[in-house]
Amino acid sequence: MMHQAPTDMTVAAAGPRAGQGYLSLQGLTKRYHDFLAVEAIDLDVAQGEFVALLGPSGCGKTTTLRMIAGLVPTSGGRIVVAGQDLTAVPPHKRDMGLVFQSYALFPHMTIAQNVAFGLEMRRLPRMEIAARVAEAVAMVRLEGREDRRPAQLSGGQQQRVALARALVVRPSILLFDEPLSNLDAKLREEMRSEIREIQQRLGTTALFVTHDQDEALTMSDRIVVMSHGRIEQIGRPEDLYERPATPFVARFVGRTNRFTGNAHGTTIRLGDLAVRAATQRSGPVEVMIRPHRVALAAAGCVPADGLNSVTGIVRRTTYSGDFVQYLVDADGLTFMVEEATVGHGRIAPAGTAVTLTWAPADTLVYEAAP
Amino acid sequence: MDERPISPILKILAAVGFLFLLAPVLIVVPLSFSGEVFMAFPPESWSLRWYAAIAENEKMLAAFLFSLKLATAVTAVNLFVAVPAAYALVRLAPRGGDAMMGFFTAPLLLPSIVLGLAMLIVFSRAGLLATPQGMFVAHLVVTLPYTLRVIATALSTLPIAVEEAAATLGASPVTVFRRVTLPMMVPGMIAAGSLSFLVSFDEVVLSLFMSGPRLSTLPVEMYNHVENRADPLVAAVSVLLVVFTLVAVVVVDRSLGLAKTFVR
Repeated sequence: MMHQAPTDMTVAAAGPRAGQGYLSLQGLTKRYHDFLAVEAIDLDVAQGEFVALLGPSGCGKTTTLRMIAGLVPTSGGRIVVAGQDLTAVPPHKRDMGLVFQSYALFPHMTIAQNVAFGLEMRRLPRMEIAARVAEAVAMVRLEGREDRRPAQLSGGQQQRVALARALVVRPSILLFDEPLSNLDAKLREEMRSEIREIQQRLGTTALFVTHDQDEALTMSDRIVVMSHGRIEQIGRPEDLYERPATPFVARFVGRTNRFTGNAHGTTIRLGDLAVRAATQRSGPVEVMIRPHRVALAAAGCVPADGLNSVTGIVRRTTYSGDFVQYLVDADGLTFMVEEATVGHGRIAPAGTAVTLTWAPADTLVYEAAP
Repeated sequence: MDERPISPILKILAAVGFLFLLAPVLIVVPLSFSGEVFMAFPPESWSLRWYAAIAENEKMLAAFLFSLKLATAVTAVNLFVAVPAAYALVRLAPRGGDAMMGFFTAPLLLPSIVLGLAMLIVFSRAGLLATPQGMFVAHLVVTLPYTLRVIATALSTLPIAVEEAAATLGASPVTVFRRVTLPMMVPGMIAAGSLSFLVSFDEVVLSLFMSGPRLSTLPVEMYNHVENRADPLVAAVSVLLVVFTLVAVVVVDRSLGLAKTFVR
């Protein structure tokens, strides 16, 4: 699954063994005529785990989610939940909760009726329905609004109703289809922690589709990065960020410096520069260096032994509160460097001569794309 | 509806437009209170005699009742047929669905006189001329395209995610339709129903072909009446129809909101 992983990236992604997950996707495939939307995906999710499907639009993440919910028929492979093969089971018998980007509340029902819908479908006694609706409405902090219609609530409130409606049936798996995309930035951050907190409190297994890397990084136990219908990497947020398995993951998750060069053992020539990596390679390679892994010092500083060291001139300095971003020209290359702002730390203005240093292990090396 | 200032020219244009639309009513209402035996505007004397005359004109009353029943039956059957048909065409999107929709709405493109002539030929052979059944079928043919079109449009604007949400919550396809799709279609059904009722109630050309000495609709009877006599009776009937329509509109508006029904 992880192609061309550099050597120090062998840290196994935490998670259940193949085929052993509470939710297990085995060779899941979706084909539309000639187009492969999802190509033989294998994924195992443990009970109570929060897993994000992250990728650009059109990467197949939403199709995967809709296949799991049963809203899109599969073209191949299996969907197994708690040992039970659900591949051919219709959506209304799958016992899953789905929260949509568009909220998808029933416009002709009150909030209480919306939340009660799934319980009525399960033919629970009236008393129990009332109690569980009240509990779910309280959980998403919408007490007192039970008799309103969805159109009378704000977007954030509507999405909380959708969350309560999906949660109240205690689904085997909670599926989220970009649920925060229609909310404004501040509300989105509140909802992130609210969803995460409720999911952890109830111990519900959750799969969360998003194209927003911050969302995936801050909410998930593990992240599945997808591209062109395939899984690029599965891992904990820190694995993905610090040890991206493919150039695609390095580019998609977080900011990065990208260079192309030629490797001879651990030495890589980037134009006139020679830098060292911790991995052995030979031939044309793609090199990525995270901007926050590069340290910036006044020119002439003697770097510690074993570090890569490059001298250059600051071309542009951008202050953005919690960090400062420098663009540094060095031997025909431009490095992006990010330093956290510490108190009244000095900021190097444009034109300053500087020395950049970073550890060989932070030089991520990938086989050049053919 | 916002508070932008309206230019005087726009106001004048609007007033002219309203005057043009309301002109027939402005003529007909005074005429209906005429005391004369002939239609003449303005009337030289005033009375309620032509309203009283309606009550004594059995043919007119029978035609009114028949029109009412016909429009009601046509509307009911329209909805009964169009709702499932529109659902199948829009949601199940069968192969050739567009062609089917085109076929079903084709009568809208034909001049009613052509339709009427064709029906006259077919119905006379089948012995359906001047029968309630024949009239019913004729009206169904001209109203169904409207109903189907309006309901299909209403259905295609409904967000499918809402139905999917119901399915994931455990509702079977039949339950989804009954508890979610159908209630959301109500405004579209009211619009379609009102339209088919009005089209049927108003239909003259086809009804002329289908009617006979024993059976006619209100518009046909009014037409016959004007042809034979020039008294203001039809003006009184017209005023009653206007009042009847207004009351219906107000009732629908008060109970469901007409704006919601027609403007989506």
